[in-house]
Amino acid sequence: MANFILRKAESKDVSDILRLIKVSKVGDMVQHFVDLLEDGFGDHPFYHCFVAEVPKDQQSSEGYTVVGFAMYYFTYDPWIGKLLYLEDFYVMEEFRGFGIGSQILKVLSETAVKTRCSSMHFIVAENNTQSIDFYKRRGASDLSLEEGWRLFAIQKEELLKITAK
Amino acid sequence: MNFKIRAAKKDDSKDISRLIMELAVYEKMPDRVMISYKELERDGFSSNPFFQCLVAEVPEENKSKEGQGIGKSLMSKVAQVGKEKQCVRLQLLMRDWNTPSLDFYVAKGAQDLTASEGWHFLRFDGEALDKLANEASID
Repeated sequence: MANFILRKAESKDVSDILRLIKVSKVGDMVQHFVDLLEDGFGDHPFYHCFVAEVPKDQQSSEGYTVVGFAMYYFTYDPWIGKLLYLEDFYVMEEFRGFGIGSQILKVLSETAVKTRCSSMHFIVAENNTQSIDFYKRRGASDLSLEEGWRLFAIQKEELLKITAK
Repeated sequence: MNFKIRAAKKDDSKDISRLIMELAVYEKMPDRVMISYKELERDGFSSNPFFQCLVAEVPEENKSKEGQGIGKSLMSKVAQVGKEKQCVRLQLLMRDWNTPSLDFYVAKGAQDLTASEGWHFLRFDGEALDKLANEASID
């Protein structure tokens, strides 16, 4: 099986994107359909998305034709300018090993180059050795290891406390 | 100390660029700053801006003095923007040796996700990015 297409997501894909987000994230945060729809396909998109689709005769065991996705957005680095930030990237297990992931990464990097982004950034959990190997094989640098960058988060509750000060 | 926090304007680009360079010197990486005030003007103040910016400004008579509470106010304003836009959280990256900054943010409730959940920050840039864009699939 090598028959798949990559295309820009449309609003009709939101339920599939939500399904894939839920499968890719074990527990943790739960996104909502309405937010995903409004935030991606409203007047001001906060993210962009590609989906991987297979023809009907190659659908998944549960009957899905959208089998992978990548969610990204544009952000800014004060040292180098425009960046493409890869937020989420997932291919259903039964469709791995066919080059879908590689093709998604290629399209993402083409998008980055076309839109004059100097770099593509993303985060990966260190125990996700499969993904880290996938990216390092293709020339990614681990800036946490090489330059000591650490990811910090301030949750909504704490943010509200700060606004009051 | 009299100061004001406000949204940056195109005219602020030279000052923002100066402050970016000051921070890069502090981060011990001044040679990594590749953009000037011109890119900031183009990328931040067009009809489709790629970043938002707040600036802290002091009146003429307080020029070049050390301030107190300005960082806190800037942070408060950023948190307000997050609240207005219904953001669920604020994320940032910091260098592991930058103790003054680490202390500042941790005091405000920041959690180190690299320590607690093992998140690593990766990058494709320059040659690696071009190669990825130009090559056919490797697998």
